[in-house]
Amino acid sequence: MQNFGSNNDLDEKGHVMTDQPKIKVKFEPKPKPSKCPICTIEFYQQFFNIEQRDVYMRVRCSILSWKPEFHECVGKNSDLWGPLWISTTIIFILFAGGNLSRFLLEEDKRHFKYEYNYMYVAVFLVYAMAFIIPIILGVIIKYILKSELGVFDIVCMYGYSLSVYIFVLILCIIPYNEAQWFFLMCGLANSTIFLLVNLRDFMKKNKQTLLIAVPIITFNVALILCFKFYFFRLIYAVDD
Amino acid sequence: MEFEVQENQGNNSIQGIINLQPQVNQVNQVQSQQQEIQIKQTDIQVSSTLEESVAVTLLRDLRQIGVKLRCVLVPTMSTDNARELRNWDLWGPLVFCLMLALTLSLSGNNDDGPGIFATIFVLIWVGSFVVTLNAQLLGGKVSFFQSVCVLGYCVFPINLGALFTLFFQFFYLKMFLVIGCFLWSTYSAVGFMKLLIPEQKRILALYPVILFYLFLSWFALIV
Repeated sequence: MQNFGSNNDLDEKGHVMTDQPKIKVKFEPKPKPSKCPICTIEFYQQFFNIEQRDVYMRVRCSILSWKPEFHECVGKNSDLWGPLWISTTIIFILFAGGNLSRFLLEEDKRHFKYEYNYMYVAVFLVYAMAFIIPIILGVIIKYILKSELGVFDIVCMYGYSLSVYIFVLILCIIPYNEAQWFFLMCGLANSTIFLLVNLRDFMKKNKQTLLIAVPIITFNVALILCFKFYFFRLIYAVDD
Repeated sequence: MEFEVQENQGNNSIQGIINLQPQVNQVNQVQSQQQEIQIKQTDIQVSSTLEESVAVTLLRDLRQIGVKLRCVLVPTMSTDNARELRNWDLWGPLVFCLMLALTLSLSGNNDDGPGIFATIFVLIWVGSFVVTLNAQLLGGKVSFFQSVCVLGYCVFPINLGALFTLFFQFFYLKMFLVIGCFLWSTYSAVGFMKLLIPEQKRILALYPVILFYLFLSWFALIV
């Protein structure tokens, strides 16, 4: 019979313990400090600390873009769930809706050629707009222009600013030029106003910070031009 | 806490006694509890699987795939199902992924077969990976490969849908079939995943699953 622990163990001070709890067994693996904190999963877990209700409130803040409520909505709890899945939904809508819009306009429906390139271009375009551009802008805002906003706050804001395009792009399936331009302009206005209104406190500081509005507006305009001229272009058959 | 262990060489069992420490509750009553735990270890038959023929090995793997497929796709949620799913494997998902990619790339409507094959393959594996990662980051108690395994097995109805659309060209029938397969896949996958996520975050974890099968069904419909 093996006896793990005896009555004659010593406690911390070196006194013999009798009739005391015998063995303290702790099985806690010590978390090793990683050399690259951004590479671990635990780092990103802090950005998924939200609930359904929170996502709904943030999307609502984004669609009612003229009210500068986003920072109150988010607090210190910026998330990455929104940017990731809103942009993926937009990719799906571009891929499916862009081809559907061309299909509706096509006369020869039997020989319709589905363009698979829409998917690759959409992935590149939307993920660049939702992640790469906000990271660059965030680095500039945080480290060069010395703001309290972090890089991930800007990424979160950009991600939610794209949420209005989910509705806009579904409506753009309607194959009428004027209707598509109208919806895209509404989306552009909403998205840009959301970003500018929520960065207003930061932009009021000095002339340099005001200039951050220029790349924001430029990239948003470029985005809807890409939407219109690549995904939802209307090529009418020319009657000779 | 004292833990005494007695090895019984005769029938490969371990008997133990755990003495929990005396608890002093607020009524100044000292209670000590002693529990006897019997741990019996059944004999493990170690048989060498290297000596059997290839046909036997393949048939056994196929039978396991079949059993798991039935567990996943007939969503009865019994405890047997849950236990079966804990033995995850990635053969099933690989077989269904290859079947789907091949079916869609060989269909006559498109002129970019290899591109479609690559797209579907990457979509299924990267998609399963990202959806599982999302569920884990949201705090779900989901084992990574088990979730990838279930998501891969639930691709099977979309596989059936793609095979049917190869033979039927009538558009509304295709649409009806593909929608049915999409609902079947999604219902099975959601049934498995929703047990592992806390209530307030459920939709956040299930929406990507729906999007994943929507993507695949859309491909099955248009190709």
